[in-house]
Amino acid sequence: MRLPMVGLTTFVIGFAAVHFIALNALPGYIMSTARDRLAAGGIETHTWNMSPRVTPQTQTIVRPSPDLAYSLCLIDVSAGPVELVVPTWPEYGSLSIFDAYTDNVYAGSLDARLPDAPGTRRIIVALAGQAVEAEEGVDVVTVKKPEALALIRRLAPSQGLYDAAAALVPVSTCGPV
Amino acid sequence: MKLVSGLVGLLLGAALGLGAAAAAAGMVGSGARLGSAIDVNGWTSDWTIGSEAANPWTRARVARHGLLALTKEEAVYFARNTDDAGDRLSEGCDYRVRGGAMPAQWWSVTLYNSESYLPDNTDNALSYDLTDAATGSDPSNWFFDISPVSSASGNGWVSSRGAGDFDLTLRLYKPKADLIADPERTLQTPSIEKLGCGEAP
Repeated sequence: MRLPMVGLTTFVIGFAAVHFIALNALPGYIMSTARDRLAAGGIETHTWNMSPRVTPQTQTIVRPSPDLAYSLCLIDVSAGPVELVVPTWPEYGSLSIFDAYTDNVYAGSLDARLPDAPGTRRIIVALAGQAVEAEEGVDVVTVKKPEALALIRRLAPSQGLYDAAAALVPVSTCGPV
Repeated sequence: MKLVSGLVGLLLGAALGLGAAAAAAGMVGSGARLGSAIDVNGWTSDWTIGSEAANPWTRARVARHGLLALTKEEAVYFARNTDDAGDRLSEGCDYRVRGGAMPAQWWSVTLYNSESYLPDNTDNALSYDLTDAATGSDPSNWFFDISPVSSASGNGWVSSRGAGDFDLTLRLYKPKADLIADPERTLQTPSIEKLGCGEAP
């Protein structure tokens, strides 16, 4: 093989390999960094945490919505499945699960106005392969890695609605089954 | 010689591959686009945002600029960083955003700086949403102004103070099935009219 062809071939191999390795590693790295930052800020695993009202001064994650009240729970299913119990909300609301690769693997409505609103949404998060016994009406979400993150969004554009959303945190659960 | 040529090619390729990945993920440059597979009058989106179906470039960009984004069944996100004339949205200019009924249960328009954060100001005017539209006027014919200072007109206002170059994100929660099936025909996109420009701060 001629010298320029050798260089060109290894250039293409190097470009493609590093490009795709970096692209595929980045979401997991960013999620892991975000999780570490939350933990360093005092957020404990398996505990619902009410985020402060979103302002430029309180934002910790990119593109937060200032109209929403956020609550989050860091999940680790390495020791077994984790159950979440969350009350619904009189306006738009959702409970979502994000896996270690940033994928939104579950989203359930918390809007109490919907005809099939459950009143309280219950889900179980488990590692693929873990045995789960779920009652009727309980959604089961499987993840590929033990670390996951649960996020509640509730429409709360005023301080009063934010306070009402915050009052639901003590009656919500996030912990081992 | 072949070994040296191969090594040089490999190292150059690896360096450029890393840089291209960083650029594709929005680690450098503007981060307005979370995905561009869908483009409705300059408002761009991608229905694979948040899902396992996203390609590596969309997935990396969403992780960097839209972490914890929901899948399309729950919410869709459109971003735009230019006005109707095609000029970059900038703190140095004033704009009027005008729109109509949105095909979703609830919607909002929020301003973010080029780093995908809310602009660092204390104006308490970060977004405009369905609640504002319903309160202020007809939710099927609404408008608000974007400016570094509040207008005296009493119209809806979103502050661009401290934003520099910015983009707008249109969130549509619980989007209607028609929007997912045919966004170009279903979404009446908000217009962004430039009202004028002053001295850049």
